[in-house]
Amino acid sequence: MREKKKIIAFCCENSSLKAAYAVTDQSILDAIEIIRLPCSGKAEIGLVLKCFENGHPGVLILGCPVDNCKYLTGNVRARKRVGMVKKALREAGIDENRVQMDFISSVDSHKFMNIVKEMEERLAPTAR
Amino acid sequence: MITAVQKPFDEISEMVKGHDKLLILGCGSCVTVCMAGGEKEVGILASTLRLFNKQNNISMEIIEDTIERQCDREFFDAVKDKILRADAVLSMACGAGVQFCAEVFEGKRVLPALNTRFYGATEQQGIWSECCAGCGSCVLDKFGGICPIARCSKSLLNGPCGGSQEGKCEVDPENIDCGWQLIYDRMKSLGLLHKLEENEPINDWSTGRDGGPGKIIREDMVL
Ligand code: SF4
Ligand code: SF4
Repeated sequence: MREKKKIIAFCCENSSLKAAYAVTDQSILDAIEIIRLPCSGKAEIGLVLKCFENGHPGVLILGCPVDNCKYLTGNVRARKRVGMVKKALREAGIDENRVQMDFISSVDSHKFMNIVKEMEERLAPTAR
Repeated sequence: MITAVQKPFDEISEMVKGHDKLLILGCGSCVTVCMAGGEKEVGILASTLRLFNKQNNISMEIIEDTIERQCDREFFDAVKDKILRADAVLSMACGAGVQFCAEVFEGKRVLPALNTRFYGATEQQGIWSECCAGCGSCVLDKFGGICPIARCSKSLLNGPCGGSQEGKCEVDPENIDCGWQLIYDRMKSLGLLHKLEENEPINDWSTGRDGGPGKIIREDMVL
């Protein structure tokens, strides 16, 4: 049987990764594959598209709150890159909402859980 | 550098239709700098095309590679086998690279993924602007280092037209600075305004596009 591919969560180590560490709900952690980044701005367009190419149903890019990026504008740049990924998905005929950018502080594990849950539910009808 | 932008994806997907094995070939020089056809852009286009093909049940093997330059023969050696095995090459170089690739690999279908735009410079990260028209007889010494041929919308050589308003060009006041305003300001700051009173004779365009396709021959270098 083919392994069920998970949602990829690119997490900035200064914020969302810390929020992820505080999540205790195992079902949330089981639904995602966390990729640690030094900054959300490091999530390259090509890398995100590769995730879809490899069969992952959704990708989350989770950076620091706006105006609170350790590298000043990495998160805002990430948001623009996500815009480019959405454009590529549209061109390929794929639902652009399969990629999502969110801004999370290190203490916001609830928000983290909700974002994952919401994407999971949204993607549930799609074949994995 | 030579600047370019990617063609609309629809146009590209239509162009490559019917080829079973496609090599997307990037260029590591000008178009890498202007972020249109380097290794990263090759990866993005290849992924998008693979996803598109999957959605549309199109079977096509897509290979990716990037060479230093596509306008010099020797750099093709590294990808020769890949080119020969592919049904078609989707080149992400400028128009010169696309044509040269087709010339080096006679009989191979070579397709352009980019629209080549102009000779330009990096104004700031993510913004490139036209500076040179490649006219073949440089006049920059007379205009304070600002080219009236490339940077005035009408390529005027003897002062501005009546459409220059508040430093902007009437052709597109939102986006184009009036080249002649730039020249005037620069010449003023250089203390050379009097030079602009000299009449510039009618330009000889035969060294540019009007003279047909250009060719440079350096006898001392020719083998
Ligand atoms: S092929 Fe075109 S883009 Fe590539 S190095 Fe040559 S001139 Fe520049
Ligand atoms: S407004 Fe300035 S740049 Fe535009 S055509 Fe006239 S002189 Fe040239």
